[in-house]
Amino acid sequence: MSLLNDLFDRPLDEGYALAAARRERSGGDDRTSPSWLLLIGLLGVALVFTVAATQARRTAGVLSAERESLMSRITERDARTEELESQIAAMQDELSAIESAQLARTAEGATLQEELEDMQAAAGAGAVAGPGIVVTVEDAPSEAPTTEDGAVDYGRVLDVDLQRVVNGLWAAGAEAVAVNGQRVTGLTAIRSANDVVLVNYRPLRPPYEVVALGDPRTLPSRFVDGPGGSWLQAISGAHDIPFDIRSEEELTVPASGGSTLRHAVPEGSS
Amino acid sequence: MIPAIGLLLGILAGLLIDVEIPLSLQPYLPIAVVAALDAVFGGLRALLDGIFDDKVFVVSFVANVLIAAFIVFLGDQLGVGAQLSTAVIVVLGIRLFTNVAAIRRHIFNA
Repeated sequence: MSLLNDLFDRPLDEGYALAAARRERSGGDDRTSPSWLLLIGLLGVALVFTVAATQARRTAGVLSAERESLMSRITERDARTEELESQIAAMQDELSAIESAQLARTAEGATLQEELEDMQAAAGAGAVAGPGIVVTVEDAPSEAPTTEDGAVDYGRVLDVDLQRVVNGLWAAGAEAVAVNGQRVTGLTAIRSANDVVLVNYRPLRPPYEVVALGDPRTLPSRFVDGPGGSWLQAISGAHDIPFDIRSEEELTVPASGGSTLRHAVPEGSS
Repeated sequence: MIPAIGLLLGILAGLLIDVEIPLSLQPYLPIAVVAALDAVFGGLRALLDGIFDDKVFVVSFVANVLIAAFIVFLGDQLGVGAQLSTAVIVVLGIRLFTNVAAIRRHIFNA
């Protein structure tokens, strides 16, 4: 502690006192009035401050510029992804048009065509339209119940909730399902990364609009009475998550973004 | 007059030279700033105490900056650079506060 006490007791450089005592002894004021030393010292002090200030300003500028460029790159890439996706969709349309034109030439082809359309609808390779229901789920209006450290926010719609809704729709007899325009196929994963729900690895924003095509007479009631509907009731009761189910006559579900053909190859041959 | 010219020249030099501090020297800049502040307030207090001496002021300023930078450099080499910078800042900070308190008493008598 003596070190700290020393520090508190004598904050002033001892040199000043010593110099004063020396002056006292030699008698008279030997301070040379225009001191070049003082000029140099203050010059150094001002130099240090100015260099530090300019350096700090420059560093801040570099940091914010880096952030700006990163953000612009993200938006640029997002736009590019969307463009490419719409290109894929257009090409798929073109392809299926050519396909059906070829198949329509023969009677055998026409039956194949029907089979193909059924299969494509089931696999999500083609867009489908028809009557169905729209289930809208949204985050709770107030960021209501959070734990003390704010780690878990149950007022949000989680990936599990969407999974249950989609599975409930399948169970209720839905023939094609899409969440916010993302077709749900056998290869779709609904999962979250941080606080964002991903469908087909594309981030979605609430409100989540789950469109399901199916028999307009049975689908709504079977969904509401089934596991999906009861799950929605449960989370809206417990966490104030608002949801809405409505029937519509004319709905479309887009084709899934890209279906790659995966096939096995025997070992040894390539 | 002379001190004002010195300050002005220093600021002008800092603005005009506009050197890019190399990355390896950047950790020493805040330390140098705190050491300079300590010298300035120490000098100011000495001035108010009537015992100001320009030679002591300049030597203490240069020595403070150099020693603080050296301690941090040594810490960097030994892998405790962050802790030693904290130590330097704490010691100089305490001196700063006590000196400023003395200056305050001189000026406001409080």
